[in-house]
Amino acid sequence: MDKSFFIKRKIANAIIYTVLTAIAVYTLMPMLFLLLNSFKSQSEIIRNPLAFPEVWTTEYLTRAFDAISFPRALGYTVLIAVCSLVLIVLFSSLCGWVITRYKSKISTVIYLLFVSAMLIPFQAVMYPLMNMMDWAGLKNIFGLIIMYAGFGLSLSIFLYSGFFKTIPYGVEEAALIDGANIFRMFFFIVFPLVKGITVTVLILNGMWIWNDYLLPYLTLGTSESKTLVLELFYAKMTSGQFGNPWELIFPAVLISVIPMIIVFLFLQKYFVKGVSAGAIKS
Amino acid sequence: MEKYYRKWFWLLIMPSMLLFFFVIAIPFIVGTLYSFTSWRGTYFAGGSFLNSFVGFGNYIKAFSDERFIHSLVYTSLYTLAAVVAINLVALAFSLMLNNIKKGVGIYRTIFFLPNMLGGLAMGFVWQFIFQVVYTEILFSPDGLFHAEFLRYMTQNTTKALFALVIMTVWQSAGYMMLIYISGLNSIPGDLYEAAQIDGAGPVRRFFKVTLPLLMPSVTIVLFLTLANSFKLLDQNVALTNGNFNTRLIALQILRTVQDNTPPDYGTAQAQAVIFFVIVAVISLFQVSVTRRKEVEY
Repeated sequence: MDKSFFIKRKIANAIIYTVLTAIAVYTLMPMLFLLLNSFKSQSEIIRNPLAFPEVWTTEYLTRAFDAISFPRALGYTVLIAVCSLVLIVLFSSLCGWVITRYKSKISTVIYLLFVSAMLIPFQAVMYPLMNMMDWAGLKNIFGLIIMYAGFGLSLSIFLYSGFFKTIPYGVEEAALIDGANIFRMFFFIVFPLVKGITVTVLILNGMWIWNDYLLPYLTLGTSESKTLVLELFYAKMTSGQFGNPWELIFPAVLISVIPMIIVFLFLQKYFVKGVSAGAIKS
Repeated sequence: MEKYYRKWFWLLIMPSMLLFFFVIAIPFIVGTLYSFTSWRGTYFAGGSFLNSFVGFGNYIKAFSDERFIHSLVYTSLYTLAAVVAINLVALAFSLMLNNIKKGVGIYRTIFFLPNMLGGLAMGFVWQFIFQVVYTEILFSPDGLFHAEFLRYMTQNTTKALFALVIMTVWQSAGYMMLIYISGLNSIPGDLYEAAQIDGAGPVRRFFKVTLPLLMPSVTIVLFLTLANSFKLLDQNVALTNGNFNTRLIALQILRTVQDNTPPDYGTAQAQAVIFFVIVAVISLFQVSVTRRKEVEY
Protein backbone atom coordinates (compact mmCIF):
# COMPACT_ATOMS: atom_id res chain seq x y z
CA MET A 1 0.00 0.00 0.00
CA ASP A 2 1.28 3.48 -0.79
CA LYS A 3 1.54 6.36 1.61
CA SER A 4 -1.41 8.34 0.27
CA PHE A 5 -3.72 5.50 1.25
CA PHE A 6 -2.78 5.84 4.90
CA ILE A 7 -3.09 9.63 4.81
CA LYS A 8 -6.53 9.32 3.25
CA ARG A 9 -7.46 6.79 5.89
CA LYS A 10 -6.29 9.14 8.63
CA ILE A 11 -8.27 12.08 7.29
CA ALA A 12 -11.36 9.91 6.95
CA ASN A 13 -10.92 8.76 10.54
CA ALA A 14 -10.56 12.32 11.80
CA ILE A 15 -13.75 13.33 10.01
CA ILE A 16 -15.67 10.36 11.41
CA TYR A 17 -14.54 11.08 14.97
CA THR A 18 -15.44 14.76 14.66
CA VAL A 19 -18.91 13.98 13.37
CA LEU A 20 -19.50 11.28 15.98
CA THR A 21 -18.41 13.58 18.80
CA ALA A 22 -20.63 16.38 17.53
CA ILE A 23 -23.61 14.02 17.45
CA ALA A 24 -22.74 12.68 20.91
CA VAL A 25 -22.76 16.23 22.29
CA TYR A 26 -26.07 16.90 20.56
CA THR A 27 -27.50 13.67 22.00
CA LEU A 28 -26.41 14.53 25.53
CA MET A 29 -27.54 18.16 25.35
CA PRO A 30 -31.14 17.65 26.50
CA MET A 31 -29.88 15.63 29.45
CA LEU A 32 -27.41 18.34 30.32
CA PHE A 33 -30.23 20.90 30.23
CA LEU A 34 -32.25 18.70 32.45
CA LEU A 35 -29.44 18.50 34.96
CA LEU A 36 -28.57 22.22 34.98
CA ASN A 37 -32.14 23.47 35.12
CA SER A 38 -33.05 21.19 38.00
CA PHE A 39 -31.16 23.57 40.30
CA LYS A 40 -32.68 26.84 39.13
CA SER A 41 -35.70 28.95 39.96
CA GLN A 42 -38.41 29.54 37.37
CA SER A 43 -37.19 33.01 36.47
CA GLU A 44 -33.60 31.89 36.22
CA ILE A 45 -34.57 29.00 33.96
CA ILE A 46 -36.40 31.31 31.56
CA ARG A 47 -33.73 33.99 31.72
CA ASN A 48 -30.74 31.77 31.31
CA PRO A 49 -31.65 28.20 30.33
CA LEU A 50 -28.21 27.27 29.05
CA ALA A 51 -26.07 28.65 31.85
CA PHE A 52 -24.87 26.96 35.01
CA PRO A 53 -27.10 27.71 38.00
CA GLU A 54 -26.14 30.83 39.96
CA VAL A 55 -26.34 28.87 43.19
CA TRP A 56 -26.38 25.10 43.42
CA THR A 57 -29.38 24.54 45.62
CA THR A 58 -31.29 21.33 46.20
CA GLU A 59 -34.40 23.29 47.13
CA TYR A 60 -36.20 22.49 43.87
CA LEU A 61 -35.13 18.88 43.90
CA THR A 62 -36.51 18.32 47.40
CA ARG A 63 -39.73 20.05 46.46
CA ALA A 64 -40.13 17.86 43.37
CA PHE A 65 -39.20 14.81 45.44
CA ASP A 66 -42.25 15.50 47.61
CA ALA A 67 -44.49 16.63 44.76
CA ILE A 68 -44.20 13.31 42.94
CA SER A 69 -44.10 11.29 46.21
CA PHE A 70 -40.88 9.80 44.96
CA PRO A 71 -40.30 6.90 47.41
CA ARG A 72 -43.87 5.66 47.10
CA ALA A 73 -44.01 6.03 43.32
CA LEU A 74 -40.63 4.34 42.92
CA GLY A 75 -41.79 1.50 45.15
CA TYR A 76 -44.93 0.92 43.10
CA THR A 77 -43.07 1.14 39.81
CA VAL A 78 -40.46 -1.38 40.95
CA LEU A 79 -43.15 -3.68 42.31
CA ILE A 80 -45.13 -3.59 39.08
CA ALA A 81 -42.08 -4.05 36.86
CA VAL A 82 -40.57 -6.89 38.91
CA CYS A 83 -43.80 -8.86 39.36
CA SER A 84 -44.88 -8.60 35.76
CA LEU A 85 -41.41 -9.50 34.51
CA VAL A 86 -41.34 -12.59 36.72
CA LEU A 87 -44.71 -13.67 35.38
CA ILE A 88 -43.74 -12.98 31.77
CA VAL A 89 -40.50 -14.95 32.00
CA LEU A 90 -42.08 -17.85 33.87
CA PHE A 91 -45.18 -18.25 31.72
CA SER A 92 -43.68 -17.51 28.33
CA SER A 93 -40.64 -19.76 28.80
CA LEU A 94 -42.81 -22.69 29.85
CA CYS A 95 -45.25 -22.07 27.03
CA GLY A 96 -42.57 -21.47 24.41
CA TRP A 97 -40.77 -24.61 25.52
CA VAL A 98 -43.67 -27.01 25.48
CA ILE A 99 -45.12 -25.77 22.17
CA THR A 100 -41.80 -26.42 20.45
CA ARG A 101 -41.31 -29.79 22.16
CA TYR A 102 -44.76 -31.19 21.50
CA LYS A 103 -45.16 -30.75 17.77
CA SER A 104 -48.76 -30.92 16.67
CA LYS A 105 -51.38 -28.89 14.88
CA ILE A 106 -52.62 -27.43 18.12
CA SER A 107 -49.20 -26.16 19.16
CA THR A 108 -48.74 -24.52 15.75
CA VAL A 109 -52.12 -22.86 16.10
CA ILE A 110 -51.26 -21.56 19.57
CA TYR A 111 -47.92 -20.28 18.36
CA LEU A 112 -49.55 -18.43 15.45
CA LEU A 113 -52.18 -17.04 17.80
CA PHE A 114 -49.54 -15.44 20.00
CA VAL A 115 -47.48 -14.17 17.07
CA SER A 116 -50.44 -12.62 15.26
CA ALA A 117 -51.51 -10.92 18.50
CA MET A 118 -48.41 -8.76 18.13
CA LEU A 119 -50.25 -6.92 15.37
CA ILE A 120 -53.05 -5.80 17.70
CA PRO A 121 -52.40 -2.27 18.92
CA PHE A 122 -53.18 -1.56 22.53
CA GLN A 123 -55.87 0.95 21.52
CA ALA A 124 -57.93 -1.84 19.97
CA VAL A 125 -58.39 -3.57 23.32
CA MET A 126 -58.04 -0.85 25.94
CA TYR A 127 -61.64 0.26 26.44
CA PRO A 128 -63.25 -3.18 26.80
CA LEU A 129 -60.26 -4.33 28.85
CA MET A 130 -60.67 -1.44 31.29
CA ASN A 131 -64.35 -2.28 31.50
CA MET A 132 -63.57 -5.90 32.35
CA MET A 133 -60.94 -4.90 34.88
CA ASP A 134 -63.34 -2.51 36.54
CA TRP A 135 -65.97 -5.22 36.68
CA ALA A 136 -63.48 -7.68 38.19
CA GLY A 137 -62.32 -5.11 40.76
CA LEU A 138 -58.84 -5.12 39.24
CA LYS A 139 -58.32 -1.46 38.45
CA ASN A 140 -55.31 -1.39 40.74
CA ILE A 141 -51.65 -2.36 40.96
CA PHE A 142 -52.50 -6.07 40.92
CA GLY A 143 -54.58 -5.70 37.76
CA LEU A 144 -51.82 -3.68 36.17
CA ILE A 145 -49.35 -6.51 36.80
CA ILE A 146 -51.73 -9.02 35.21
CA MET A 147 -52.20 -6.82 32.15
CA TYR A 148 -48.48 -6.23 31.65
CA ALA A 149 -47.91 -9.97 31.95
CA GLY A 150 -50.56 -10.55 29.29
CA PHE A 151 -49.24 -7.94 26.88
CA GLY A 152 -45.64 -9.07 27.31
CA LEU A 153 -46.35 -12.71 26.43
CA SER A 154 -46.56 -12.62 22.64
CA LEU A 155 -43.11 -11.29 21.90
CA SER A 156 -41.55 -13.37 24.70
CA ILE A 157 -43.11 -16.65 23.58
CA PHE A 158 -41.99 -15.85 20.06
CA LEU A 159 -38.40 -15.28 21.24
CA TYR A 160 -38.29 -18.33 23.51
CA SER A 161 -39.76 -20.79 21.05
CA GLY A 162 -37.41 -19.53 18.34
CA PHE A 163 -34.51 -20.42 20.59
CA PHE A 164 -35.85 -23.72 21.93
CA LYS A 165 -36.11 -24.95 18.36
CA THR A 166 -32.33 -24.80 18.12
CA ILE A 167 -31.56 -26.93 21.18
CA PRO A 168 -31.95 -30.70 20.93
CA TYR A 169 -33.89 -32.44 23.66
CA GLY A 170 -31.40 -35.22 24.33
CA VAL A 171 -30.42 -33.67 27.66
CA GLU A 172 -34.02 -33.50 28.71
CA GLU A 173 -34.50 -37.18 27.88
CA ALA A 174 -31.48 -38.09 30.00
CA ALA A 175 -32.73 -36.04 32.95
CA LEU A 176 -36.07 -37.73 32.71
CA ILE A 177 -34.51 -41.18 32.76
CA ASP A 178 -32.58 -40.10 35.86
CA GLY A 179 -35.93 -39.56 37.53
CA ALA A 180 -36.32 -35.79 37.46
CA ASN A 181 -39.88 -34.53 37.22
CA ILE A 182 -40.90 -32.05 34.58
CA PHE A 183 -40.49 -28.91 36.70
CA ARG A 184 -37.10 -29.97 38.02
CA MET A 185 -36.02 -30.77 34.52
CA PHE A 186 -37.23 -27.42 33.23
CA PHE A 187 -35.85 -25.16 35.93
CA PHE A 188 -32.51 -26.88 36.49
CA ILE A 189 -31.64 -28.08 33.02
CA VAL A 190 -33.62 -26.28 30.32
CA PHE A 191 -34.01 -22.81 31.80
CA PRO A 192 -30.27 -22.19 32.41
CA LEU A 193 -29.64 -22.95 28.73
CA VAL A 194 -31.75 -20.02 27.59
CA LYS A 195 -30.28 -17.35 29.87
CA GLY A 196 -29.46 -15.17 26.87
CA ILE A 197 -33.05 -15.04 25.69
CA THR A 198 -34.25 -14.44 29.23
CA VAL A 199 -32.05 -11.33 29.38
CA THR A 200 -33.53 -10.12 26.09
CA VAL A 201 -37.07 -10.78 27.29
CA LEU A 202 -36.40 -8.95 30.56
CA ILE A 203 -34.89 -5.92 28.87
CA LEU A 204 -37.35 -5.50 26.02
CA ASN A 205 -40.32 -5.84 28.36
CA GLY A 206 -38.73 -3.97 31.25
CA MET A 207 -37.92 -0.87 29.20
CA TRP A 208 -41.48 -0.68 27.99
CA ILE A 209 -43.17 -1.39 31.31
CA TRP A 210 -41.01 1.06 33.24
CA ASN A 211 -41.67 3.97 30.90
CA ASP A 212 -45.28 3.19 30.02
CA TYR A 213 -47.74 5.99 30.50
CA LEU A 214 -51.06 4.95 28.98
CA LEU A 215 -51.83 1.73 30.83
CA PRO A 216 -51.19 3.16 34.33
CA TYR A 217 -53.11 6.29 33.31
CA LEU A 218 -56.16 4.25 32.37
CA THR A 219 -55.88 1.82 35.26
CA LEU A 220 -54.75 3.89 38.21
CA GLY A 221 -55.77 7.38 37.10
CA THR A 222 -55.70 9.81 39.97
CA SER A 223 -55.66 7.15 42.69
CA GLU A 224 -53.07 7.20 45.49
CA SER A 225 -50.92 4.48 44.03
CA LYS A 226 -49.30 6.06 41.00
CA THR A 227 -46.25 4.97 39.06
CA LEU A 228 -43.34 7.36 38.50
CA VAL A 229 -44.39 8.27 34.97
CA LEU A 230 -47.95 8.88 36.13
CA GLU A 231 -46.83 11.09 39.04
CA LEU A 232 -44.78 13.08 36.60
CA PHE A 233 -47.70 13.40 34.22
CA TYR A 234 -50.04 14.72 36.90
CA ALA A 235 -47.39 17.04 38.34
CA LYS A 236 -47.15 18.67 34.92
CA MET A 237 -50.85 18.63 34.07
CA THR A 238 -52.28 19.94 37.31
CA SER A 239 -49.83 22.76 37.74
CA GLY A 240 -49.57 23.54 34.05
CA GLN A 241 -52.83 25.41 33.68
CA PHE A 242 -51.14 28.75 34.15
CA GLY A 243 -48.00 28.18 32.12
CA ASN A 244 -45.40 25.54 32.77
CA PRO A 245 -43.77 25.50 36.21
CA TRP A 246 -40.38 24.47 34.89
CA GLU A 247 -38.79 24.77 38.33
CA LEU A 248 -40.94 21.80 39.33
CA ILE A 249 -40.91 19.86 36.07
CA PHE A 250 -37.16 19.75 35.51
CA PRO A 251 -36.21 18.35 38.92
CA ALA A 252 -39.20 15.99 38.80
CA VAL A 253 -38.12 14.60 35.44
CA LEU A 254 -34.54 14.33 36.66
CA ILE A 255 -35.52 12.39 39.78
CA SER A 256 -37.78 10.09 37.83
CA VAL A 257 -35.19 9.15 35.20
CA ILE A 258 -32.28 8.64 37.58
CA PRO A 259 -33.20 5.05 38.55
CA MET A 260 -33.31 4.02 34.89
CA ILE A 261 -29.98 5.72 34.14
CA ILE A 262 -28.35 3.89 37.04
CA VAL A 263 -29.76 0.56 35.92
CA PHE A 264 -28.66 1.22 32.36
CA LEU A 265 -25.11 2.21 33.26
CA PHE A 266 -24.64 -0.96 35.29
CA LEU A 267 -26.28 -3.33 32.85
CA GLN A 268 -25.57 -1.63 29.53
CA LYS A 269 -23.69 -4.65 28.22
CA TYR A 270 -26.89 -6.65 28.57
CA PHE A 271 -29.02 -3.91 27.05
CA VAL A 272 -26.89 -3.78 23.93
CA LYS A 273 -26.88 -7.57 23.65
CA GLY A 274 -30.57 -7.85 24.47
CA VAL A 275 -31.71 -5.38 21.86
CA SER A 276 -29.53 -6.78 19.08
CA ALA A 277 -30.40 -10.38 19.93
CA GLY A 278 -34.10 -9.58 20.11
CA ALA A 279 -33.94 -8.08 16.66
CA ILE A 280 -32.04 -10.94 15.06
CA LYS A 281 -34.35 -13.57 16.51
CA SER A 282 -37.41 -11.82 15.20
CA MET B 1 -40.63 -38.34 24.64
CA GLU B 2 -43.37 -36.76 22.49
CA LYS B 3 -45.95 -38.50 24.64
CA TYR B 4 -44.38 -37.19 27.80
CA TYR B 5 -44.54 -33.59 26.59
CA ARG B 6 -48.11 -34.11 25.46
CA LYS B 7 -49.10 -35.20 28.94
CA TRP B 8 -47.93 -31.86 30.35
CA PHE B 9 -48.82 -29.73 27.36
CA TRP B 10 -52.08 -28.20 28.53
CA LEU B 11 -50.94 -27.61 32.08
CA LEU B 12 -47.83 -25.73 30.98
CA ILE B 13 -49.50 -23.51 28.43
CA MET B 14 -52.50 -22.85 30.68
CA PRO B 15 -51.22 -19.71 32.48
CA SER B 16 -50.20 -18.09 29.20
CA MET B 17 -53.43 -19.02 27.50
CA LEU B 18 -55.55 -17.69 30.37
CA LEU B 19 -53.71 -14.37 30.39
CA PHE B 20 -53.86 -14.18 26.63
CA PHE B 21 -57.61 -14.71 26.57
CA PHE B 22 -58.42 -12.34 29.39
CA VAL B 23 -56.08 -9.53 28.46
CA ILE B 24 -56.03 -9.66 24.66
CA ALA B 25 -58.39 -12.08 22.91
CA ILE B 26 -61.63 -11.44 24.79
CA PRO B 27 -61.27 -7.63 24.96
CA PHE B 28 -60.38 -7.64 21.26
CA ILE B 29 -63.47 -9.64 20.28
CA VAL B 30 -65.71 -7.73 22.67
CA GLY B 31 -64.27 -4.44 21.42
CA THR B 32 -64.91 -5.34 17.80
CA LEU B 33 -68.51 -6.24 18.67
CA TYR B 34 -68.97 -3.05 20.68
CA SER B 35 -67.78 -0.97 17.74
CA PHE B 36 -71.13 -1.80 16.12
CA THR B 37 -73.13 -0.53 19.08
CA SER B 38 -73.89 2.76 20.79
CA TRP B 39 -71.68 1.85 23.72
CA ARG B 40 -71.12 4.58 26.30
CA GLY B 41 -68.32 2.98 28.30
CA THR B 42 -70.32 1.88 31.31
CA TYR B 43 -73.70 1.34 29.72
CA PHE B 44 -75.42 1.00 26.34
CA ALA B 45 -77.45 3.89 24.96
CA GLY B 46 -80.17 1.46 23.88
CA GLY B 47 -80.45 -0.17 27.30
CA SER B 48 -78.91 -3.51 26.40
CA PHE B 49 -76.23 -4.74 24.03
CA LEU B 50 -78.71 -6.14 21.51
CA ASN B 51 -80.90 -3.04 21.49
CA SER B 52 -77.93 -0.76 20.89
CA PHE B 53 -76.84 -2.27 17.61
CA VAL B 54 -76.11 0.53 15.13
CA GLY B 55 -74.53 -1.40 12.24
CA PHE B 56 -71.75 0.55 10.61
CA GLY B 57 -73.01 3.78 12.16
CA ASN B 58 -69.91 4.29 14.29
CA TYR B 59 -67.65 3.65 11.33
CA ILE B 60 -69.54 6.20 9.25
CA LYS B 61 -69.31 8.64 12.15
CA ALA B 62 -65.59 8.00 12.45
CA PHE B 63 -64.92 8.59 8.78
CA SER B 64 -67.02 11.73 8.69
CA ASP B 65 -65.28 13.13 11.77
CA GLU B 66 -62.82 15.72 10.53
CA ARG B 67 -60.59 15.32 13.56
CA PHE B 68 -60.28 11.58 13.01
CA ILE B 69 -59.47 11.95 9.31
CA HIS B 70 -56.98 14.67 10.17
CA SER B 71 -55.31 12.44 12.75
CA LEU B 72 -55.04 9.66 10.15
CA VAL B 73 -53.38 11.96 7.63
CA TYR B 74 -51.21 13.55 10.29
CA THR B 75 -50.09 10.15 11.58
CA SER B 76 -49.29 8.95 8.06
CA LEU B 77 -47.20 12.04 7.31
CA TYR B 78 -45.40 11.77 10.63
CA THR B 79 -44.76 8.06 10.08
CA LEU B 80 -43.37 8.67 6.60
CA ALA B 81 -41.00 11.36 7.82
CA ALA B 82 -39.97 9.53 10.99
CA VAL B 83 -39.35 6.17 9.32
CA VAL B 84 -37.11 7.72 6.66
CA ALA B 85 -35.26 9.96 9.12
CA ILE B 86 -34.72 7.34 11.82
CA ASN B 87 -33.57 4.75 9.31
CA LEU B 88 -31.07 7.04 7.59
CA VAL B 89 -29.67 8.39 10.85
CA ALA B 90 -29.43 4.94 12.43
CA LEU B 91 -27.73 3.56 9.32
CA ALA B 92 -25.29 6.47 9.26
CA PHE B 93 -24.47 5.94 12.96
CA SER B 94 -23.84 2.24 12.45
CA LEU B 95 -21.68 2.75 9.35
CA MET B 96 -19.56 5.34 11.14
CA LEU B 97 -19.15 3.16 14.22
CA ASN B 98 -18.30 0.21 12.00
CA ASN B 99 -15.43 2.19 10.53
CA ILE B 100 -13.63 3.09 13.73
CA LYS B 101 -11.81 1.01 16.30
CA LYS B 102 -11.40 3.09 19.44
CA GLY B 103 -14.33 4.37 21.49
CA VAL B 104 -17.07 2.37 19.78
CA GLY B 105 -18.55 1.39 23.14
CA ILE B 106 -18.82 4.90 24.53
CA TYR B 107 -20.48 6.33 21.40
CA ARG B 108 -22.88 3.39 21.29
CA THR B 109 -23.84 3.96 24.92
CA ILE B 110 -24.44 7.68 24.41
CA PHE B 111 -26.53 7.20 21.28
CA PHE B 112 -28.63 4.52 22.94
CA LEU B 113 -29.15 6.37 26.22
CA PRO B 114 -32.15 8.57 25.18
CA ASN B 115 -34.09 5.42 24.45
CA MET B 116 -34.04 4.44 28.10
CA LEU B 117 -35.59 7.61 29.35
CA GLY B 118 -39.24 7.42 28.46
CA GLY B 119 -41.17 9.43 25.91
CA LEU B 120 -43.21 11.36 28.43
CA ALA B 121 -40.38 12.47 30.72
CA MET B 122 -38.05 13.52 27.94
CA GLY B 123 -40.99 14.94 26.00
CA PHE B 124 -41.40 17.54 28.73
CA VAL B 125 -37.75 18.48 28.42
CA TRP B 126 -38.06 18.74 24.64
CA GLN B 127 -41.14 20.88 25.01
CA PHE B 128 -38.96 23.31 26.94
CA ILE B 129 -36.23 23.08 24.32
CA PHE B 130 -38.66 23.91 21.52
CA GLN B 131 -40.51 26.62 23.44
CA VAL B 132 -37.61 28.38 25.09
CA VAL B 133 -34.25 27.29 23.74
CA TYR B 134 -35.18 27.08 20.03
CA THR B 135 -37.58 29.99 20.11
CA GLU B 136 -35.83 32.52 22.31
CA ILE B 137 -32.17 31.67 22.03
CA LEU B 138 -30.96 29.60 19.10
CA PHE B 139 -33.20 30.67 16.26
CA SER B 140 -34.55 34.04 17.35
CA PRO B 141 -33.73 37.16 15.27
CA ASP B 142 -30.74 37.91 17.51
CA GLY B 143 -29.81 34.30 18.17
CA LEU B 144 -27.37 31.86 16.60
CA PHE B 145 -29.11 32.19 13.26
CA HIS B 146 -32.59 33.38 12.52
CA ALA B 147 -34.94 30.59 11.40
CA GLU B 148 -38.59 31.37 11.84
CA PHE B 149 -39.53 27.80 10.97
CA LEU B 150 -37.71 26.46 14.04
CA ARG B 151 -39.45 28.85 16.42
CA TYR B 152 -42.71 28.11 18.26
CA MET B 153 -42.63 24.58 16.90
CA THR B 154 -45.11 23.24 19.42
CA GLN B 155 -47.75 25.80 18.49
CA ASN B 156 -48.31 25.04 14.84
CA THR B 157 -49.71 21.95 13.16
CA THR B 158 -46.99 21.57 10.52
CA LYS B 159 -44.07 22.61 12.69
CA ALA B 160 -45.18 20.29 15.50
CA LEU B 161 -44.90 17.37 13.10
CA PHE B 162 -41.25 18.19 12.58
CA ALA B 163 -40.78 18.75 16.29
CA LEU B 164 -42.05 15.20 16.81
CA VAL B 165 -39.67 13.91 14.16
CA ILE B 166 -36.72 15.76 15.70
CA MET B 167 -37.48 14.34 19.10
CA THR B 168 -38.16 10.76 18.03
CA VAL B 169 -35.04 10.63 15.86
CA TRP B 170 -33.08 11.76 18.90
CA GLN B 171 -34.76 9.11 20.99
CA SER B 172 -34.88 6.00 18.81
CA ALA B 173 -32.06 6.27 16.26
CA GLY B 174 -29.68 4.78 18.83
CA TYR B 175 -31.88 1.75 19.31
CA MET B 176 -32.18 1.07 15.59
CA MET B 177 -28.44 1.67 15.25
CA LEU B 178 -27.80 -1.39 17.46
CA ILE B 179 -29.81 -3.54 15.06
CA TYR B 180 -27.91 -2.22 12.06
CA ILE B 181 -24.58 -2.77 13.83
CA SER B 182 -25.35 -6.42 14.47
CA GLY B 183 -26.45 -6.70 10.85
CA LEU B 184 -23.19 -5.19 9.62
CA ASN B 185 -21.19 -7.50 11.85
CA SER B 186 -22.79 -10.54 10.28
CA ILE B 187 -21.56 -9.62 6.78
CA PRO B 188 -18.43 -11.69 6.04
CA GLY B 189 -15.35 -9.52 5.52
CA ASP B 190 -14.02 -11.51 2.56
CA LEU B 191 -16.93 -10.27 0.46
CA TYR B 192 -15.57 -6.74 0.79
CA GLU B 193 -12.09 -7.91 -0.06
CA ALA B 194 -13.39 -9.67 -3.15
CA ALA B 195 -15.30 -6.58 -4.20
CA GLN B 196 -12.25 -4.41 -3.62
CA ILE B 197 -10.03 -6.67 -5.70
CA ASP B 198 -12.63 -6.50 -8.45
CA GLY B 199 -12.17 -2.74 -8.36
CA ALA B 200 -15.35 -1.64 -6.60
CA GLY B 201 -15.08 1.73 -4.81
CA PRO B 202 -16.60 2.47 -1.43
CA VAL B 203 -19.91 3.73 -2.87
CA ARG B 204 -20.26 0.73 -5.13
CA ARG B 205 -19.31 -1.61 -2.27
CA PHE B 206 -22.02 -0.07 -0.13
CA PHE B 207 -24.77 -0.48 -2.73
CA LYS B 208 -23.67 -3.83 -4.12
CA VAL B 209 -22.45 -5.62 -1.00
CA THR B 210 -23.48 -3.92 2.23
CA LEU B 211 -27.02 -2.91 1.43
CA PRO B 212 -28.26 -6.19 -0.12
CA LEU B 213 -26.77 -8.20 2.75
CA LEU B 214 -28.18 -5.80 5.28
CA MET B 215 -31.74 -6.31 4.08
CA PRO B 216 -32.74 -8.60 6.99
CA SER B 217 -31.83 -5.79 9.41
CA VAL B 218 -33.61 -3.26 7.22
CA THR B 219 -36.74 -5.41 7.43
CA ILE B 220 -36.60 -5.43 11.21
CA VAL B 221 -35.84 -1.74 11.57
CA LEU B 222 -38.57 -0.77 9.11
CA PHE B 223 -41.02 -3.01 10.90
CA LEU B 224 -40.16 -1.55 14.30
CA THR B 225 -40.08 2.10 13.23
CA LEU B 226 -43.30 1.78 11.25
CA ALA B 227 -45.12 0.20 14.16
CA ASN B 228 -43.64 2.57 16.75
CA SER B 229 -44.38 5.68 14.68
CA PHE B 230 -47.93 4.67 13.92
CA LYS B 231 -48.63 3.95 17.58
CA LEU B 232 -46.74 6.95 18.97
CA LEU B 233 -48.49 8.50 21.95
CA ASP B 234 -46.28 9.61 24.85
CA GLN B 235 -44.24 12.16 22.89
CA ASN B 236 -47.41 13.51 21.34
CA VAL B 237 -48.96 14.00 24.78
CA ALA B 238 -45.83 15.60 26.19
CA LEU B 239 -45.01 18.00 23.35
CA THR B 240 -48.40 19.42 22.37
CA ASN B 241 -51.01 17.27 24.10
CA GLY B 242 -52.84 17.31 20.78
CA ASN B 243 -53.40 21.06 20.77
CA PHE B 244 -53.15 23.02 17.50
CA ASN B 245 -54.54 20.03 15.57
CA THR B 246 -51.60 17.82 16.35
CA ARG B 247 -53.32 14.66 17.51
CA LEU B 248 -51.82 11.46 16.23
CA ILE B 249 -54.28 8.62 15.86
CA ALA B 250 -53.49 6.97 19.21
CA LEU B 251 -54.23 10.21 21.03
CA GLN B 252 -57.33 10.83 18.89
CA ILE B 253 -58.82 7.48 19.98
CA LEU B 254 -58.13 8.46 23.58
CA ARG B 255 -59.70 11.91 23.18
CA THR B 256 -62.76 10.92 21.09
CA VAL B 257 -64.34 9.79 24.32
CA GLN B 258 -63.90 13.20 25.94
CA ASP B 259 -64.85 15.15 22.81
CA ASN B 260 -68.42 13.94 23.02
CA THR B 261 -71.06 14.07 25.73
CA PRO B 262 -72.19 11.49 26.59
CA PRO B 263 -68.79 9.81 26.02
CA ASP B 264 -68.95 8.06 22.68
CA TYR B 265 -67.05 4.85 23.37
CA GLY B 266 -68.74 3.12 20.43
CA THR B 267 -67.16 5.48 17.92
CA ALA B 268 -63.82 5.48 19.74
CA GLN B 269 -63.87 1.68 19.51
CA ALA B 270 -64.70 1.83 15.80
CA GLN B 271 -61.70 4.13 15.34
CA ALA B 272 -59.58 1.63 17.25
CA VAL B 273 -60.70 -1.20 14.95
CA ILE B 274 -59.84 0.91 11.90
CA PHE B 275 -56.48 1.62 13.51
CA PHE B 276 -55.89 -2.11 14.02
CA VAL B 277 -56.70 -2.90 10.39
CA ILE B 278 -54.29 -0.22 9.15
CA VAL B 279 -51.47 -1.34 11.45
CA ALA B 280 -51.95 -5.00 10.53
CA VAL B 281 -52.13 -4.41 6.78
CA ILE B 282 -49.11 -2.10 6.70
CA SER B 283 -47.00 -4.44 8.83
CA LEU B 284 -47.83 -7.56 6.83
CA PHE B 285 -47.36 -5.80 3.51
CA GLN B 286 -44.06 -4.30 4.57
CA VAL B 287 -42.68 -7.59 5.87
CA SER B 288 -43.64 -9.46 2.72
CA VAL B 289 -42.09 -6.81 0.46
CA THR B 290 -38.77 -6.54 2.26
CA ARG B 291 -38.53 -10.31 2.72
CA ARG B 292 -38.51 -10.64 -1.04
CA LYS B 293 -35.61 -8.21 -1.28
CA GLU B 294 -33.40 -10.20 1.08
CA VAL B 295 -30.59 -12.12 -0.58
CA GLU B 296 -28.93 -15.37 0.37
CA TYR B 297 -25.20 -15.83 0.45
